Formats: sequence, structure tokens, C-alpha cells
Amino acid sequence: MPARIRLANPERCIGCMNCIFACSRELYGGILSPLKSALKLVYDTPSRKFIVSICPGCVDAPCVNACPHKALAEQPGGGPTLINPEKCRSCETRDCIKACILGVLFWDDERRAPIICTQCGECAKYCPHEVIVYREV
Amino acid sequence: MDGLSRILYIDLSEKKSWVEDRKDLIEDRIGGLGIAVKLYSEGCKLGSDPMDPENPVVFAVGPLNGLYPSISKTVAVFKSPLTGTYGESHAGGRLAMAVRMAGYGAIVLVGYSDKPIFIDIENSEVRFRNAKPLLGLSSLEVEERLRTSTRAVESIVSIGLAGERVCFYASVNVDRYNYFGRLGLGAILGSRNLKALRIRGSGSLKPIDPEGYRKLFEKLYKRIVETDAMAKYHYTGTPANIMVLNEIGALPTRNFRESRFEYAEDISGERIGETLLERKVSCPLCPIGCMHIARLRLEFAKGYEYEPIDVYYNYESMYALGTNLCLKNPTDILRLIYTANLYGFDTMLLGNILAWMTEAYELGLISDRDTNGLKLNWGDIDAYLDAVKRIAYGEGDLYIYAAQGLKQLTDIYGGRDYAMQIAGNGIPGYHTGYASILGFLVASRHSHNSNAGYDIDQQALKKSFTDEELVDRIAAEEDWRNILVSLVACMFSRRVYTPDLVVEALRTVGFGYGVDELMEIGREIYMDIYGLKSKEGFDPRRIYIPRRLFETPSATGVLSEERFRKLLELYMERRFKSSST
Repeated sequence: MPARIRLANPERCIGCMNCIFACSRELYGGILSPLKSALKLVYDTPSRKFIVSICPGCVDAPCVNACPHKALAEQPGGGPTLINPEKCRSCETRDCIKACILGVLFWDDERRAPIICTQCGECAKYCPHEVIVYREV
Repeated sequence: MDGLSRILYIDLSEKKSWVEDRKDLIEDRIGGLGIAVKLYSEGCKLGSDPMDPENPVVFAVGPLNGLYPSISKTVAVFKSPLTGTYGESHAGGRLAMAVRMAGYGAIVLVGYSDKPIFIDIENSEVRFRNAKPLLGLSSLEVEERLRTSTRAVESIVSIGLAGERVCFYASVNVDRYNYFGRLGLGAILGSRNLKALRIRGSGSLKPIDPEGYRKLFEKLYKRIVETDAMAKYHYTGTPANIMVLNEIGALPTRNFRESRFEYAEDISGERIGETLLERKVSCPLCPIGCMHIARLRLEFAKGYEYEPIDVYYNYESMYALGTNLCLKNPTDILRLIYTANLYGFDTMLLGNILAWMTEAYELGLISDRDTNGLKLNWGDIDAYLDAVKRIAYGEGDLYIYAAQGLKQLTDIYGGRDYAMQIAGNGIPGYHTGYASILGFLVASRHSHNSNAGYDIDQQALKKSFTDEELVDRIAAEEDWRNILVSLVACMFSRRVYTPDLVVEALRTVGFGYGVDELMEIGREIYMDIYGLKSKEGFDPRRIYIPRRLFETPSATGVLSEERFRKLLELYMERRFKSSST
């Protein structure tokens, strides 16, 4: 099985956002932007906690199944991969985004495509407390 | 340089904003402190009252903010009600990242709003909103009301009641756990009727050399997490200083009467780490998590009814509102820090004031009539909690003067020999020796972090310096730190960001400076600030140094005022002789 990112110790998060920006740096060739990341980190004030959300790389992934254009396919081991970006460019409905009940699939307005977690493990590499880990599952 | 030269001007009087491109400033002065000083001096009115709304308030970020680990500060420059001249303060949190992602290098506030105002910035959009619903709320509450679950980098900046009431040492809170603590920025925002700002940035930053950038990021990140360069800040946090300074006899106790605290171990950073510390919080891209947050439960009724509160604590607050007031129970100290933060005071000067009031009360300089019946005794937590509230609300003359700082208090009541302030700012918790006092006095912003005199004294315990070496070290350290504050780095990362690595990092974002050029710019920044202050009458030789500093033994022995004055003369001579050549 290929390695996958996993939320191993969510309570240990200190809110440093290194995961968010490590992702954007990797996916966009050295560019940093909070909107060009396949992860989400919110600071939840009622619980005064940082809540990280990652793409778990689902098997039988809802986002892949929801795409009406067959632009997405499943990666080996689960999770989406983009096989037809041209189809994405004209998509108005963005059913893939809506299908993710974790809310961790995001749309990139510039590329006109979903920001897909490639399960590369960069976010885990820069997590100082093993909130996110990268391992074979 | 990704928007660094774009300066956002906000006119509170006219409720309008505009952007000016100032590439000239970036080329000359890098960013952060360097450009903030220029922007401030372009708009400030020399000799005017600090509350004059024409004096600008500048928040600036630098070229390494948002890109490199532990480079996460924003620098604020303003006219200080405490010093009556140039003021500067730094804060962490998400502000620097938010400002950069919104596409700006600095925000300049001018003018005065006739109604309480909340400024909501989202990338290029600036909205002026009525802040009435936020009035009277603590910054902790404001943060909870304004925080959203956006994916943009969002920062919330606000003042508490002390700022609204224009207490001269009101702080400004950033993202709940960070503060522009020193020199009264909160008073200035309060005097302009500005209760809060929210900045949301969702743009992007592109280094000109992405590969070089990624490699250097990894190298710096590893150095931060894998070496001991920043370990202290991560583990015990700055409260580790309590035991260290107690050991060498530099821990101010009972208003600097003593330099060791008999209960140091009970309130130490290590003890709180074992018992009350709940979690650590970090700034963007910093893996350290230096903000140590303790969890207290305060009983508010019988039947196991508790109010859970989270308190951010650090060494300076623990000295000022702890050892210096002889509070020997960590829970009491944390409650007092929390209360100070609720109202939004600079915890350090507040501690110096409470300590002075306690001593003045003990000596009969102020009476029960002055305190409105409040009995201020060393170590009495209930009295201190009450006193803080009375200062915040201005309940009686003593408390109204106390809200204006120690200089004002002693002008009315006397007792300046033990009023622990220099040039209007409260003295930090390091009675280490000559370099600490001299460094604080000559520092452009009167902060121990400007040139780390306390550190030079501690080195002197192991190896003695000549007078020339001592004053030159203070000058060189401040020049270099001016560069770090132009990036805008966190001082905790100073051992990671050595001059050669700063040069390398600046290359990845398009700056070609060498180490010598940087040192020269650092010196010019000091001279820029010193020039501004001189024109407004500041002369370190005319500043009163509290006698107590020359009575209570420091870590390096009892200090003589005569020797101190000689060192000051030597500093002035060498600092300014070399500048005219």
C-alpha cells in the first residue's frame, strides 16, 4: 500500500500553519498562499482549539464518484486524482467540492480545478508535533 | 517583493483609505522597522502632543514575513504617551502573515474618528464599521466575536477598557495571546476611537528563487526544531528565567528591594510547566510554540461551579506581577496577569506601578484616603486585583494618576527614588548590572530587547569586558537587531538567523545586501530614530535613573552611579563620534 497522511494526534496542534504552507509550497512550486493548500486549519474560539482537516484519501471516494465529467479518478490506495483538467475548467457545478463532507476539497479559482491532495507527505514533514503523520496504512 | 512596497493609508477622520507605492523606502530600508520609522517621520508633528491625531500610527511587516520559520512579528511605530516622543512595540500572532497575504508592506493610520470604529480589511477592501457593539469588551471577548472560520489568514487586533479610557500604558491585543505591550499603543488607538481591526489576507507570496527558498526553509526549520538554539522558548518558555535570574541574584523582588525571591522555586516556569500549563500556541510558520497557556479554574459558586480561564504567561509578566509584588502562589500571579490582560494593560509597567504604590503606602507617602480605603500590602492578591480594576475605571485621584504612568505619579506624590521607570517606561526584570541599565536607557525604544544589555551583563559574569567593549557591544547589538526587526524576525530566533543566513534568505526574495551593508542600515535606523527623539528634546544624560538601582545589589554587585554616568558618557562619545565620520 502507498503511504498516506493521517491525523494522528489532533489535540497536539499549536496552530503554526506549517502544514498549510508546506502543502501550497509543494503543489504550487514554491508559492505560499492559504488558499492554495489542500488542508484546512481553523482556530475554533468556543473550544479555543486549533482544528486541522486533511484529505484522508478515501477509498470509493465521494468526490470522485460525484464528478459528472469523469475528470477525477481514484489514486491507488484511495483519494482523488485529476485525470482530465480540461473538463474541470468548464465545470460550473463543482459537485466534487460539495461531495466532501469533511469540507477539505477546495477550488482553485486561478487554475479552475480542485486542489487535490497528492498524499505526498510534505505537511507531515513540517508538523512539529506529529499531529499529521505520513505512513503506510 | 510581493506587495511589500504597497502602503495602505487609512484616514480615520475622513473614513477613507488609499494605497501608495513606496519602492524607494524598501530599497533604502528593507522593510519592517526601517520603513516604519520613515513612514512615521514623514507624518509626525515634532513637539506635538502624542494624542495629536496627525501623528501617524504605523504597522509594518518585512520581506521575510510569511515565508520563513519564526519570522512572524509586526512592528508598530507611534508617538508614545509615556515617553512623549518616538514609541515602538512588536507583536506576534497572525498579523504579519495576514498583512502580507492581504498584499501590503505597511498600514498607516492617521486622523481621529468621532465615533468608535472597527476597521475590517479583506485584501484590497477596507470597510469602516461602527464599533459600538464592541465597546467595553475585553480583547479576549472581541477576539471571540470577530473570529471567523475563513481559510484566509485572519488577524484580530483590539484594545480593552484601558485603551478605551486612554490609560497611558494600555496594550493592544493581537489574536488573543499576543500583545503590542509597551509604550502605550493602546492609549493612542483609544484616543483615536479605534476599538479593533480585522485583517484577512488570501493572496500569495512568490520568492524569486523558489528552489533556493525551499532548500533554505528546510535548513532553517531543521535548525529550529533539531538544535537547542530555541529550545528554551519551546520547553519552559521565558519563565525559565525565574530560576536562572534568582540563582545569580538578578530577579527583582518587592519593588527591586531585593534581587532574589525566597519563593522562586514555587512560582518557577518549571513548576507551572508541571502543574498548570495546558498548551502551547505558535505564530504562523513557527514550529516553536513559545506562547505558554495555563488553564485555571476559578470557583464562582458553591457546588463545583468553575469558570475555566486560559492565561498566557511569560517571564516579564511573572516578574512584574509576581516576584516584584511578592506573590508567592502561581495561581495568584496568573490571575493577576489575566486581569491585566482583560483590561488591556502593559503588564510590566502595571507591575512597576503596583509595586511603587505598595511601597509608598507602606512608607506613608500615600494614605488610606488616597487609596479609598484599599490596603496595599506585599503579596495580597485581592488588594492587587482590586487596585487594577480601580486604575482601569479611574476610581479616585490616585488611580487616575496611576493610569498615566509612574512619572506622573511621582510628580504628584514624590517617591521617585523607588519608582522603577526610566524615560517613562517600566524597568524590565533583570537587575544584572550596568549594561542592562545603560542598554535600556540608550535603546531607541527603551526595551531590554533592543540591545540585550542584560545578556552582556550575564556574559560579564564569566569574562570581564573593558568599558569600551561593553558600550560597543550594546551599540552593535542594537544595530543588528534593527535589521532583524526590519525583516520582521522574532527575537527568540536570533540565534538561528545569523547574519550570513539573513543575507542568504534576503537573496531568495530579491535583496542583494551583504552583511556590512546590513549593519550600516541598522546603524542608520538607530540614527534616524535618535534624530527624531533629539529634536523633541530627548537626551539620555538628562534622564533620571531611580536611586534604588544603585542601592540593591545586582548580579554583578552593587552598582555606582558615578561609574554608570561614565559609561553613559563613553557610549555617547563612541556612538556619535563614529556616526559623524
